[in-house]
Amino acid sequence: MIYDIAHRTIFKYDAPVASARCAMRLIPRSDRGQTVLSSHIELSPSAEFINERIDFHGNRVCEARILKPHTKLQIALAARVEVERAPPPAPALTPAWEIVRNDAYASDSLAASSPAHFIYASRFAPLFDSATHYARESFSPGRPILEGALELTQRIHADFAYDPEATHIATPIAQAFERRRGVCQDFAHIMIAALRGLGLAASYVSGYLRTYAAPGQARLEGADSTHAWVSVWCGPEFGFFDLDPTNAVVVGNDHIAIAIGRDYADVSPIDGVIIGAGDQDLDVSVDVKEAAI
Amino acid sequence: MSAERPIETDKASQRVAAWIAQYAPMRDAPDELFDHDGRLRTHWREFLDALAAFGDDGLEQRFAAAARRIDDMGVSYRVHGEAKERSWPLGRLPLLIPESEWRDIAAGVAQRAELLNRILHDVYGDARLVADGVLPAAAITGSPDFIRPMCGVAPPGGRWLRFYAADLGRGPDGAWRVLGDRAQAPSGAGYALENRMVLSRALPSLYRDMNVERLAPFFREFRASISRAAQRVDPRICLLTPGPWSETYSEQVHLARYLGFTLIEGEDLVMSDGKLHVRTIAGLKRADAIWRRVDADWCDPLEQNAASRLGVAGMFEAIRRGDVVVANMPGAGLIESRALMSFLPELSERVLGESLKLSNVATWWCGRESERKQVIEALSERAINSAFGGRLPGFGERREALGSELTADERAQLIDAINQRGVDYVAQEPIKLSTTPTWVDGRLTPRPFALRVFAAATADGWTVMPGGFCRVSNRLDARAVSMDAGAQSSDVWVLTSRPIEWSTLLPSDENPPIVRALGNLPSRAADNLFWMGRYLERAEATLRIVRSLGARLGELQHIDLQGGQSIERLARLLIAWGAAPEGAPDMNPTEIAWSAAAGADDYGSALSVVRNARRAASIVRERLSQDVWQLIGRIETRLTRAGARAITEPEALEIVERSLHTLAALSGLIDENFNRVAGWSFIDLGRRIERAIGTCRFARQFAGDDATVETLDALLDLLDSQITYRSRYIAGAALAPVLDMAMLDPFNPRSVLFQAMRIDEHLAALPALRDDGVMERPRRLSVKLRAELESEDARRLDTSIILAFEQRLMSLADKIAERYFTHGADGAANSQPSRIA
Repeated sequence: MIYDIAHRTIFKYDAPVASARCAMRLIPRSDRGQTVLSSHIELSPSAEFINERIDFHGNRVCEARILKPHTKLQIALAARVEVERAPPPAPALTPAWEIVRNDAYASDSLAASSPAHFIYASRFAPLFDSATHYARESFSPGRPILEGALELTQRIHADFAYDPEATHIATPIAQAFERRRGVCQDFAHIMIAALRGLGLAASYVSGYLRTYAAPGQARLEGADSTHAWVSVWCGPEFGFFDLDPTNAVVVGNDHIAIAIGRDYADVSPIDGVIIGAGDQDLDVSVDVKEAAI
Repeated sequence: MSAERPIETDKASQRVAAWIAQYAPMRDAPDELFDHDGRLRTHWREFLDALAAFGDDGLEQRFAAAARRIDDMGVSYRVHGEAKERSWPLGRLPLLIPESEWRDIAAGVAQRAELLNRILHDVYGDARLVADGVLPAAAITGSPDFIRPMCGVAPPGGRWLRFYAADLGRGPDGAWRVLGDRAQAPSGAGYALENRMVLSRALPSLYRDMNVERLAPFFREFRASISRAAQRVDPRICLLTPGPWSETYSEQVHLARYLGFTLIEGEDLVMSDGKLHVRTIAGLKRADAIWRRVDADWCDPLEQNAASRLGVAGMFEAIRRGDVVVANMPGAGLIESRALMSFLPELSERVLGESLKLSNVATWWCGRESERKQVIEALSERAINSAFGGRLPGFGERREALGSELTADERAQLIDAINQRGVDYVAQEPIKLSTTPTWVDGRLTPRPFALRVFAAATADGWTVMPGGFCRVSNRLDARAVSMDAGAQSSDVWVLTSRPIEWSTLLPSDENPPIVRALGNLPSRAADNLFWMGRYLERAEATLRIVRSLGARLGELQHIDLQGGQSIERLARLLIAWGAAPEGAPDMNPTEIAWSAAAGADDYGSALSVVRNARRAASIVRERLSQDVWQLIGRIETRLTRAGARAITEPEALEIVERSLHTLAALSGLIDENFNRVAGWSFIDLGRRIERAIGTCRFARQFAGDDATVETLDALLDLLDSQITYRSRYIAGAALAPVLDMAMLDPFNPRSVLFQAMRIDEHLAALPALRDDGVMERPRRLSVKLRAELESEDARRLDTSIILAFEQRLMSLADKIAERYFTHGADGAANSQPSRIA
């Protein structure tokens, strides 16, 4: 499947901004069953691109500097990405979760793909008892890891209400957990915290969803902005598999991954510092459609 | 140095006997004063005898002098969460360590520093130790100081670790043991230096006779080594501080001054052309090396904690480009975790091919199954801690659990937690700190202590500071000592048998080039000096109005003088300045005057303005002499105390008068003692601008079209120009002559022209950004303003012309700020950066 992605972000400022420096993680990854065929970022006012690098987790980061005073900043990404993901293994064939946990503890690699990076609490995914207990219900002793993880994905979908009004970026996930509502970002963080509470390795994936449902299927939640889901490590033999708790699905060819990290802080699409005062207003639009080739 | 007269030996030995008669060390922990057979150690005997020879009074005098010196030096610290700094609690007795024992400590600490540096190279490099199974990846990744953006980066200057500290204590067998490693931004070296300066002055002969090792060579080598690591020959080395709210700010200020480093905050730095620069009044200047006291997570908001305001966006990129030496590299803090400690004995064999010379507290990381089982079996003999610092997961606010003190429920909970997430826990042998004598109520008393020893990288290895930072608990039974309320600190004397060469930071073996200009003043410092000058001047003006008002009110009560007009205007002026509340009709002029002086609620009261001056001063404290800092504090204290109680009118006037005297003294101190290239011009610029604006306002208020003899008289009063006026003009106050004196007289140090001339001179002398000789904007304004005032005629002046001058002065102040403090588009020092997303 080949997609054309258009992702536009507009910042409007109450007071003029003298200068800005930003780091953007917008261009999708070229690994795990997807390939970026082309990509282009355009800034307005125009910017000086100062650096492009690959961060620790393998994400592409573009850094730019805008030296013109401005009250509106538009960042637009256009990308064409091919997605052809292998289906996950039969859950029953994956190893018992305790074995996977001990393998993660004993990992002998510090490479980005090592599960050791994803077993600890992180900035946006602190561990808390109620999440661990919640996860434990799906992980009876000896249960194959992917079975447990799939069940957890479905339970979160069933137990939590999608409600953009319930939380904002600074809402602690323990609070979203208690209220049983939130958005994709909250569900991903909650699932990560729950899995890590058991000692399992789970990472945060930001990405896009196809905007229009495939024929005969329902439209997925989170398609009109950037999406987030979870990647679970299933042992050295199987590696990571992606699960989307917001839509209770295994991530297949409807998802396009942008960046991977321990949590949102590692993959935040646009980070920056501006020199200026006053409030700002944010407007994001995402459009992902099958490429007409 | 005073002469030290030994007194009768008998008396002295009786005194020593009395000091130690009730000294009772713990049975199960070693003690510094007595050996395990209960014998007084010889070096302590020698020390106490010498101390006793001073006599009781002599000793008290010395220690009182030491206490005064601590205050004079401004040594202080902050207990976390407290607004006010505390005076430094230096104990009277040093910790004494004989050379033979010290040699082992120093060798052990140097070895450990080298080992940790190599481990950092490996972990952030090709991670061979991890791949070979010697060091589990999870023992690294759990550390909040495993800074992933630094993976694969070659540290500029070639080292991850340049400044390392080890916390030591004696084990039950008397052998020194490492309790903890410090590499993030170790504190205490500056306090050690300050402790030494104070104690060696209090006991100079003792210090000399006992051949105490000097600290200065250590700092000299540290500085030289950073300097060599930088790319340029004469590098600019900066000490990056989190700012005045940091617990150890006082120490950082002292170290920057002692080492000659530029003290900067994150806001002083800017990334430009891929390199880090300091914003200075002469433009952007390259930062070659940074000694950071800001934790790595806060160093670069673009790559770590996006909420940080303490660092600078782009620091990590500058490091990757190899353009800035950072001590220690972000990520070095990783080696502080207890989890790593459990692997060090093995890693030492593997990496260095030798065993640890100083063993650390026995530690077991519970992330490995074999250790986990052992720990659970022996739980009642273990202390359980978080593997990577902070709170013990699952145990609320607790940082440690002693296996022997757990309830059955807690024990079950802990075992369950260790079985589930053992990676989060370490077990250690419980260590009880050993004791050293301290001085309590005229006697020696044993108190537990921990010793921090510092090592600095040199060209070919490590140098260890002979001495250290010793913290002494105020409780007898202690497992850790932090500098919270109640703890003390002691100087640490390493005693040698040979005479010590005198040494300070002064280079002796080379001919230093003579330098008169100090490095370029950072913009933020200039900004704060400027505002300190403005606030001090405004405080003075406010107090002058209050004094003038008070004097007129006093006269009114006694003789029937016509004072109504000027009283009303003076009061109005105070209200217009925000010094007294507006729209409080029931306040009489006396109340207005007093509120304008010592009221805490109005932003323009003398007290509020002095507080602002102090705040600005606190940010540039390292540039101010202790006297200046103290005098500002004194005015604030005086006005605060006075404002807090009921007070009679004469008393109030007296306080105003004395505050004005202190301000005058301050002004004199600043003029006479402040080096002209160290930022004095910015204080003076601030003062001059404020005074010129103030004088314009006075003139508009008292010498307008409706001026009377009485209001002109008040104006002369405010300008301190009564005497000059009377000597020049025989008749009473008349409009044009008074206005001339206030606005245009080039010889009157309070006239507006006089200020304009000084401002213009300062601007002419400040560094220029342009090299084409064309005047910069602030100077263009000042030249014009000065010329116009010089050619103005007093008879023509009216309130609208004066107002126009006043507005031009304000715009000049803005232009000065734009040019020297904020640097236009490259970043504003006084506007808050904020996150985009």
